[in-house]
Amino acid sequence: MANIDAKQYSRESPSMKSRMSWLWSEYSVIIAFVIIYIGASAMNPRFLDMNNQLNILMQVSIIGIIALGMTVVMLSGGIDLSVGSVLALAGVVSVLALNASGSIWIGVLTALLVGSFAGFLNGLMVAKGRIASFIATLGMMAGARSIALYIAEGGSVSGEVSGFTAIANSDFWIFDFPVIIFFVMAVLIYVLMHKTRFGRYVYALGSNEKAAMLSAIRVDRIKIGVYTLIGTLVGIAAVIETSRLNSISSSSSGAQYELDAIAAVIIGGTRMTGGRGKIIGTIFGILILGILNNMMNLMNVSPHLQGFVKGLIIIIAVVFQKRE
Amino acid sequence: MASHPFVAMNTIEKSFNGVPVLKKVTLEVEKGEIHALLGENGAGKSTLMNILGGVHQPDNGQIFINGEEVKMADPHVSQAQGISFIHQELNMVGDLRVYENMFLGSEIRNKIGFLNVEEMCRQTREILAELGVTINPKEYVRNLATSYKQLIEISKALLHKSQLIIMDEPTTSLAEHEVSRLFVLMKNLKKSGVSIIYISHKLKEIQEVCDRYTVLRDGQLVKTDVMENENLEVITKLMVGKSISQERYVHGHEFGEVALEVEGLTSAGLFKDINFSVRQGQIVGFTGLAGDGRTELFESLFGYRKKYSGIVKVKGKPVKINHPRKALQAGMGYVPKDRKENAIIKDLSVIHNMSLSSMGNFERLGFIQGKKEQQKFQTYKEALNIKVHNPRITIDKLSGGNQQKVIIAKWLEAETDILIFDNPTQGIDVGAKQEIYQQILMLAEFGKAIIILSSEAPEVMRICHDINVMYHGEITARFTGEEASEEEIMHYATGAKREGEKIG
Ligand SMILES: Nc1ncnc2c1ncn2[C@@H]1O[C@H](COP(=O)(O)OP(=O)(O)OP(=O)(O)O)[C@@H](O)[C@H]1O
Ligand SMILES: [Mg+2]
Repeated sequence: MANIDAKQYSRESPSMKSRMSWLWSEYSVIIAFVIIYIGASAMNPRFLDMNNQLNILMQVSIIGIIALGMTVVMLSGGIDLSVGSVLALAGVVSVLALNASGSIWIGVLTALLVGSFAGFLNGLMVAKGRIASFIATLGMMAGARSIALYIAEGGSVSGEVSGFTAIANSDFWIFDFPVIIFFVMAVLIYVLMHKTRFGRYVYALGSNEKAAMLSAIRVDRIKIGVYTLIGTLVGIAAVIETSRLNSISSSSSGAQYELDAIAAVIIGGTRMTGGRGKIIGTIFGILILGILNNMMNLMNVSPHLQGFVKGLIIIIAVVFQKRE
Repeated sequence: MASHPFVAMNTIEKSFNGVPVLKKVTLEVEKGEIHALLGENGAGKSTLMNILGGVHQPDNGQIFINGEEVKMADPHVSQAQGISFIHQELNMVGDLRVYENMFLGSEIRNKIGFLNVEEMCRQTREILAELGVTINPKEYVRNLATSYKQLIEISKALLHKSQLIIMDEPTTSLAEHEVSRLFVLMKNLKKSGVSIIYISHKLKEIQEVCDRYTVLRDGQLVKTDVMENENLEVITKLMVGKSISQERYVHGHEFGEVALEVEGLTSAGLFKDINFSVRQGQIVGFTGLAGDGRTELFESLFGYRKKYSGIVKVKGKPVKINHPRKALQAGMGYVPKDRKENAIIKDLSVIHNMSLSSMGNFERLGFIQGKKEQQKFQTYKEALNIKVHNPRITIDKLSGGNQQKVIIAKWLEAETDILIFDNPTQGIDVGAKQEIYQQILMLAEFGKAIIILSSEAPEVMRICHDINVMYHGEITARFTGEEASEEEIMHYATGAKREGEKIG
């Protein structure tokens, strides 16, 4: 068997062009990040200011935590539109629990429980009810928001326990606490997706569900797990969001978070139909969004126009994905 | 003016990621000939055809059509030159209807621009009838058996009045009578001046229809010659570098305990009152024509289909299997047919496809040990002779036959006591077939109970101790491997004969 051996392999180095295209296809989001970063530094000297840089990180941390979960959901071939509403609901309920009990731990735990339970319900609808994830989570989006409004009577609720605000407002070395939570979560999700069978199964399921099932994978359970995971992450985000200002608004908190999270995932190169994509990509995706927001603020672009720019970026990212 | 061959591919070279796959390959196809393209799995057949079809671009070399150089920049150019391509893997859109798939991208419209559905259905029906198929053109493709999908894929190529049809393993899911219908059609096409490039690992087919052949080995041209009075053994030797015996493999009848026992298994519309048992060390075959229900039967046994009644016993204990995971836990493994739809996870690497059903073997404290996976893959790579330069690339980059070997490795790794193989040698070359048969035999000798489903009677005759023939969801005959003859099997498979006492 004249298999081509290693020597021959290394002797014929791939052409420059094919190497470049490989680099681009694997790391396009990182390259885009670097270009945008350099561009931003050139356009406005204040951008490179250390405080500004840390500020960007702080601003993306909440959406970042949600986007990590969104990556997992989208890798499995689904989508979760309910994250913003569930964040508001988890925030409202946890503040009530916090105030009633006086314990920060109970407040935090409540947020996590509400988030993961909403996610679990999403998972049940998708896996057992065989409802398209788009529809199921759209329902949850409306339902969770409505319950949050009902509980808070349409307004905001504020924490009455001292020390609760410390969660989002303290820092460690130069980093704000939410940034550290985001980084820790990113590492955990990375390990989950690449070093455990759960992650492997999510990729398999998003790529070919029938083959995954015939490979003896409990597809239903993995789906429920995926939605429960993002729900839990939304619960964590809710704690940070609430703690930052010591209050949460049942009507406006979390609004459009699903759009930002989905945008970060798509910019990060995850395929809309699942099976392909990386956590690292999402992290750079969220950083790109953060830098653009920051630049527009520094340059006094009207906040009403910022959505337009974001939309444009998403479309460009998808066009690039299509081309591959 | 000198006459040119219809197609001439000259000194074609192609590398993927620096690995040469085609080395100065030359191929000429005359007008109105059926040309066989032969070679082992991974020899470069599909790649060469993808270059002719405009799917890939060659690194070097030219393509001439009727003596004029043509650059096949993309599949449309190739189509415009009168070339149709039946790809190795099916490309049907399951959520579209049969006629919509047939006319995808070339829909017929009436004068005011609306789709002319009736006309499309009529043409679909007509072409399918030529292949002896009667299906409703408005049926959704996802509801059809694979053999029908393959026939539709073939019909689609016939729809365009092409001058050259590339057929890359068109018969892997077809039953024998469907194949012979296809051959009649091919011979007619040939008479009307159409050329055909025919790729197959079934050498008997090749001998029957092809005029000339070209053999590739490791990306190099080995020989081009006329088929007539060429002996199959010689060609095999050219392909794999050694001769292959066509004898029966299995002998001896020392079986262990009953491993799997099935009583009165019934599923409405799919199969009826199925009874059989398999002992440890026994290889039992199931054969029949398309629509005989054997795949559905074993998909049910494996828990993929849930609507069935009857008793299933594993090692004497009744089990209720309603999910493939349960089947795996009960000790059953299943290599499904139609790898693209049922087995391949195309976004996972070759290694990760191999380990998918047995993650437990590679974990420590809940974490996957990448190194262990890699080492294990290495042993399968050698045992099954899997051709892959870098097992970290996604599995869809492998040649069709090598993908199949990875799937077999995946289920060998799951180490179940009962192994069900559905069409296990689909798209596998003669040499590798031998290796896989030997693996199966070895598994049986280790005391595993083996079930083989195949539409090819000769295959089950070669490797099975016992053979069940199915027709319309029922087992109509049962033979031992020695007493079975192809003819007898055909009688029962076509329903021409059914014999109560044969089943006992
Ligand atoms: N897109 C690709 N990227 C990398 N390698 C590839 C790609 N396509 C094919 N190859 C490699 O090229 C070689 C030839 O593959 P090809 O599909 O042409 O084989 P084949 O002769 O059709 O085999 P089979 O009989 O199994 O279908 C294989 O080793 C395969 O791994
Ligand atoms: Mg091929």
